[in-house]
Amino acid sequence: MAKTALGDEAAFAELYKQTSAHLYGIAVRILRDGAAAEEILQEAFVSVWHHAGSYEAARSHPSTWLAAIVRNRCLDQLRRRELDTVTLTADDDDGREFVLPSTDPTPVEMLLAGAEAQSVRDCVDQLDAGPKQAIALAFYQGLSHAELARHMRQPLGTIKSWLRRGLERLKGCLDRAGYLRN
Amino acid sequence: MNLSRPDRLQRLDALAAEYALGTLPARTRLRLARVAQVDAAVAAAIRDWELRLASMADAAAPVTPPPRVWLAIAARLGLGLASAAPSVHANVPWWSRLAFWRSFALTSFALAMAFGVTLFGPGMRAPEQPIVAVLAGPDARPALIATMLRGERTVTVKVVGAATVPAGKSLELWLLPKDLPPKSLGVISDSGLVHVALPAPTEVALANVPALAVTLERAGGSPTGAPQGPVLYTGKVERFD
Repeated sequence: MAKTALGDEAAFAELYKQTSAHLYGIAVRILRDGAAAEEILQEAFVSVWHHAGSYEAARSHPSTWLAAIVRNRCLDQLRRRELDTVTLTADDDDGREFVLPSTDPTPVEMLLAGAEAQSVRDCVDQLDAGPKQAIALAFYQGLSHAELARHMRQPLGTIKSWLRRGLERLKGCLDRAGYLRN
Repeated sequence: MNLSRPDRLQRLDALAAEYALGTLPARTRLRLARVAQVDAAVAAAIRDWELRLASMADAAAPVTPPPRVWLAIAARLGLGLASAAPSVHANVPWWSRLAFWRSFALTSFALAMAFGVTLFGPGMRAPEQPIVAVLAGPDARPALIATMLRGERTVTVKVVGAATVPAGKSLELWLLPKDLPPKSLGVISDSGLVHVALPAPTEVALANVPALAVTLERAGGSPTGAPQGPVLYTGKVERFD
């Protein structure tokens, strides 16, 4: 990654080779739209090429950093769609809906399986069922407050309080485990 | 969003958490992003949460993106052009860069394995053994397979996974002789089977040529005789003798 800052195309190509399937998987899962996910992936890598110098090598693994960029851009796009109902309708009608495999594990299973360290898994596991599922659904499928409320058949206030409590506990646990290096 | 209250830190952290998780309503999300641009503490809180949450992202099932994604990235960044690598390689053409050779050597090995071309081992040689180059992009997925027969003056290129070429552009096939500039074999289509003439019989034309490459050029190919566009695919010339 440090090499990308020097304009080393081979390092960049290698980075793409190693991370693109993982990142595309994240984008497809959140956006449920292969074409939109391609756009995000393209933008993320173009941005990485230009800004690799600002990559904070000491703070996280490159793939973690890239995953954060991709997730963030996906969420921007999802929320923009909410603001622009015309776009939302057009997107629904253009037949590009990406079909997810039906054998997928549930979001909570994924949240646990995806935690890279045992300490992170423990932190996820100690959450109550409601908050855990709300965080998992938001994290893997990009659901908003309102969508979570519909999906989980809970009042909006409950969803908000689950998220707030869950995230607070998660933070306390992760930071105690020394996950985030400062 | 009043962030000047005493519990500012806690409220800020809760907002940053939901920003990173993605659950904030659209307008709040936009407002917070704007605040983060001018307030370093807000930006740092968001980044910390993004990294905390990203530690759990690995379980999304990997999906290999279509080859056109890399093609678009390479085209947008002008990868393969000497001018795209300002500081280090300013005066070195892309084909003589170590990095380029290293990357193609890696993919060609993987491809040889994937295609089982090494199955044609010593003692198993068929009477008419073609010379083969499997060309691939950085994602290591085969895009084109070039085959040549000794004594003939044709390269047969089968397109197996090349990305669709944008309007106004062409794919151009190159011989990459050792220590010499690339030599164009002409423009090829992005689908089906293409026959390209060689300037000399195969064994002569390919002597001293360890690899082939395909670049993305303006329609009709590079007007200068030297590649100008990004390198999309490369492949090592495999001789089975």
